[in-house]
Amino acid sequence: MNAAVSTDELTDWLRMMTLIRGFEERVKNLFSQGLVRGTTHLATGQEAVAVGASAALQPDDWVLGTYRGHHHALARGMSPASAFAEILGRSTGVCRGKGGSMHLTDVSHGVMGSYAIVGAHLPIAVGCAWSSKIQDLGRVAVCFFGDGTTTIGAFHEAVNLAAVWKLPAIFVCENNRYSEYTPIDQVSPVAHAAADRAAGYGIPGVVIDGNDVAAIRDAVDVAADRARRGAGPTIVEAETYRHGGHSRADPATYRPEQEVEHWLQRDPVAAVRRQLEATAEPGRAEQVETEASDQLDRALEEALAAPEPDLSTLTDDVYARAL
Amino acid sequence: MTDSVHAESGTAPGAAEAPSTEGTDLGVVFGPGSPAVSDESGTAPVQLLTPEGERREHPDYSFDLDDEVIKGFYRDLVLTRRIDAEATALQRHGELGIWAQLLGQEAAQIGSGRAMGPQDFVFPTYREHGVAWCRGVDPLHLLGLFRGVDQGGWDPNENNFALYTIVIGAQTLHATGYAMGMQRDGVVGSGDPDKDAAVVAYFGDGATSQGDVNEAFIWASVFNAPVVFFCQNNQWAISEPIERQSRIPLYQRAHGFGFPGVRVDGNDVLACYAVTQAALRRAREGSGPTFVEAYTYRMGAHTTTDDPTRYRLSEDLEHWKLKDPIARVKAYLVRGGLADDAFFAGIEQEAEAMGEHLREGCRALPDPSPLSIFDQVFVEQTPELAAQKEQFAAYLASFEGAH
Ligand SMILES: Cc1ncc(C[n+]2csc(CCOP(=O)(O)OP(=O)(O)O)c2C)c(N)n1
Ligand SMILES: Cc1ncc(C[n+]2csc(CCOP(=O)(O)OP(=O)(O)O)c2C)c(N)n1
Ligand SMILES: [Mg+2]
Ligand SMILES: [Mg+2]
Repeated sequence: MNAAVSTDELTDWLRMMTLIRGFEERVKNLFSQGLVRGTTHLATGQEAVAVGASAALQPDDWVLGTYRGHHHALARGMSPASAFAEILGRSTGVCRGKGGSMHLTDVSHGVMGSYAIVGAHLPIAVGCAWSSKIQDLGRVAVCFFGDGTTTIGAFHEAVNLAAVWKLPAIFVCENNRYSEYTPIDQVSPVAHAAADRAAGYGIPGVVIDGNDVAAIRDAVDVAADRARRGAGPTIVEAETYRHGGHSRADPATYRPEQEVEHWLQRDPVAAVRRQLEATAEPGRAEQVETEASDQLDRALEEALAAPEPDLSTLTDDVYARAL
Repeated sequence: MTDSVHAESGTAPGAAEAPSTEGTDLGVVFGPGSPAVSDESGTAPVQLLTPEGERREHPDYSFDLDDEVIKGFYRDLVLTRRIDAEATALQRHGELGIWAQLLGQEAAQIGSGRAMGPQDFVFPTYREHGVAWCRGVDPLHLLGLFRGVDQGGWDPNENNFALYTIVIGAQTLHATGYAMGMQRDGVVGSGDPDKDAAVVAYFGDGATSQGDVNEAFIWASVFNAPVVFFCQNNQWAISEPIERQSRIPLYQRAHGFGFPGVRVDGNDVLACYAVTQAALRRAREGSGPTFVEAYTYRMGAHTTTDDPTRYRLSEDLEHWKLKDPIARVKAYLVRGGLADDAFFAGIEQEAEAMGEHLREGCRALPDPSPLSIFDQVFVEQTPELAAQKEQFAAYLASFEGAH
């Protein structure tokens, strides 16, 4: 545990963290330019959770995320061009432009969907884990969700069933301290909204620094090992923070200034960058950043050039087989 | 359950700490040093009266009332069992559509039911016939519901006993909402014992798997609502055994929600009384909810449409018969010379009379007019419902004279 992190790993992590951060900056711009209607929920500040968890997973493992899910999808390897295209409503998007920011899905990378109904995906993750168990696939299902989600009945039903059936599921709570505008300590009866609940289900619950990629990777690694051994699920609670508002329209003025400042100081992208600079040759970090930025520019250009879906495809893809 | 470890909260990186450089020591979190969640074997329920009828002391709970009260409990237990038996027989004779038996759970219901004051409020499932009895609801009303001639014919406000709830777990939310209302009415934590009130939410072991119950726990805990979550773990949710509902003893579920949980011998009327009373006291004084797991056994079928011999062993039933909730009270009373034959005969006579009251009363319950289904949906009739009622009346009238 806490295996030393190699320079190559740090390079990969910084690449992915920068890619996610840059991706979301561009998304934000697209919305403010009016190029996309509706809303979007950025994970800026929470990138380490997705990158750390993905670092512990196998390519055929599954992840399920939320409406705040760009980072989960990209960290698993979803192509930024297809993700941009999806958000822009283009036919080359991962859901052929019909899902949008809140529904990024890419089964080929194990991204089993992003879900806008709070808590709805926990039972779906349990279904994935069950299918792995009964088919003996050896895959784990990782479900990302927010702190506020622990107050929804679906959380309870999912975690309990996974515990009773000893399913290979990992419940990763991104505790960013708020659900919309409500501080979690106003609505959680326990100090650690997710991890403290584990005792009530007879499974392990762990609280970790959610801005520390290595800590998350290690926790998910142990949980995945436990899951694959048939020992059942784990709750991993990653303490983190969203730098911005809940959604595009939220200026997040309800948060104390010092709190925001404190967490900005602990920016996970900057942290990985510092770690890389400490071990790699000078210039490596800048090079990674430039490459990521170029990749994003090309991806966005590609997405913007893609056509919108044809009206005739409106009712396609609702069911696996057309009715 | 060697895997069942729980994080020490000390491992959390608090907001005030510097960024961690070494990461979390997961050996501490997952390793053998962590406190293990205890398993079923190490959790003896609170017991004050053994199956042999001997009194027991417990460090946290005691039953201090005199033997006359215990004799009263005995009467309640016997009459409740009779109500249940009569109703079951009436269903067999086609007089009721269905009946949910409470056989074996009498002590859990009488103990908790008698622990309440008149100001407390009950939210039952469909099996709380013993609690209904304690609250003074005429058992004929219960029969009316299962006969299908009314929607639960009692007024919840008359006895502070809500209508039966079939939707598993839903009543725990109603209970929590009602309890929060009590807080806002100022009848919690006022220090006046006749005024301070609490709510008892009844539910089964199976209901603990339901998301609604979890949401009720969260709300009650966060808002310190005066609720006693009284779970009768009768080991079965229809044909689903408790082992398939939870990996831990149920009362420990409460720990994940930040309020106390206690397991009580659900076949021990004295212990159920003492534990419920303590939980009610806590709730009324404003200290929040408690989870009470009454460990008992459904000796009958789930309902009269169920055949438990298809999914459980008769040895289990035989084993639980030895722990019968009524036999131990009788043994206590007889052994101590506290009640004579005349006492038992008197209660037997009362039970006979109760049986007759139910048999005759049930058959005499009037069939409702089909139009009455529109009447008690809302406090005030809506135009939509009024229109539907009119349509339905016209439809019914179209049969007049036809054969
Ligand atoms: C079932 C449901 N209820 C309410 C909402 C509205 N809603 C959207 S996001 C959100 C807050 C969720 O907070 P949390 O789980 O902490 O996730 P975060 O947004 O912080 O990532 C709410 C209440 C919803 N989408 N679904
Ligand atoms: C929401 C809901 N789901 C399913 C049912 C069907 N159902 C009726 S009783 C029951 C079992 C409940 O078991 P438990 O909570 O242990 O109570 P018990 O019947 O043992 O008293 C089920 C699943 C229901 N009534 N409501
Ligand atoms: Mg949140
Ligand atoms: Mg049950």
